[in-house]
Amino acid sequence: MEGLSATSVSNLEIVNPYFSNPASDYIYKAKIDIYGRYFGGILIIKKVGDNSHRVVFTTEFGSKIFDFLYEGNTFTKNFMLEDLDKKIIVNTLQKDFKILVSEKVDVERQYRSQKHWVYKMKADNRFNFYFVEKTNNSLERIVNTSKTREKVEILFTSEVNNVAQKIFINHSNMNLTIDLNYFKTE
Amino acid sequence: MSKAEILKFKEQVNLASKTTTTITSDFVQYKHMDFLNDDIETSGNLAFKAPGMVKWEYTKPYQYSVIFKENELLINDGGTKSNVDIGSSKMFKKLNELIINSVKGNMFDEVEFNISYFKTDKAYKAVFVTKDKKMSKFIASFELLFNIKDGAVKEVKMIEPSSDFTQIVFSNRVLNSTLSDAVFTN
Repeated sequence: MEGLSATSVSNLEIVNPYFSNPASDYIYKAKIDIYGRYFGGILIIKKVGDNSHRVVFTTEFGSKIFDFLYEGNTFTKNFMLEDLDKKIIVNTLQKDFKILVSEKVDVERQYRSQKHWVYKMKADNRFNFYFVEKTNNSLERIVNTSKTREKVEILFTSEVNNVAQKIFINHSNMNLTIDLNYFKTE
Repeated sequence: MSKAEILKFKEQVNLASKTTTTITSDFVQYKHMDFLNDDIETSGNLAFKAPGMVKWEYTKPYQYSVIFKENELLINDGGTKSNVDIGSSKMFKKLNELIINSVKGNMFDEVEFNISYFKTDKAYKAVFVTKDKKMSKFIASFELLFNIKDGAVKEVKMIEPSSDFTQIVFSNRVLNSTLSDAVFTN
């Protein structure tokens, strides 16, 4: 990665705080654009156990499109709308949300840029780079790469502590973006 | 309900529907999922114009509308306009057909549904169980509640096989006001 200089590893483990509270329902208005086809919906993320998250996507009217369960490294597809139940779609979404809900990750290397501490960790046969803003210590970006190439970028905007108001997921190797806006229903 | 009561109830709904040219109504939608702390509450308004134009508009906590017009579905997702993918909203299309048909009085389709009837103090309840195998994978039943007084639909509930459900409660219903066709354009 450009503009990064290696430092010694000061944090052996870093935490993604955005889906870490089991008492919270994390509800987002979602806009998904896949190869020019547009889907709106509601994305629900919930921590359901020490190391488990449920990720459910519904239409605005409440009908389920998919329902995923992550328990540690075990992934379960509880439900996928038949029309969308294709390997490439399930795999891509499964991997994206796996990055999103991975809460504690082991740091392999550490770098710094002008604004960020950057933590590198292994994720299967890829790598994730966590960009943590130096002054307020907030996680602003996760970049998922192969050995040579950026694959997925996730941007977080967090104004209130530990809630990501906006999340933007962008794929470099396919035409897919996921735009999430947090909303409270109370 | 006895056979005579069912007949009388159907007649009442038929009569109400024959004289209905337009409906406007507010609604509140509750999405219930067992793993969440709270139901997801969204709300907005509904406009219907005979024979078959419907506009669902969510105004809280986000702006989202869908217009059902002949075979078109027009969506406006917070300014992003598109044609909705029928695949992801087939269930809603069915629900919408049910609501239109309940207004028109020909909803009691025994070919498509197994229907049972109940009467409580305040409402008639009709429960529709689809005979379509594909549909029954994601919808266990529809329940419609009708006012005893005037046979108007006051509540719709879609129950999934998991027992999670979407409930829509109508209020401030106005019949036969003047509604311009322009309401049903995106």
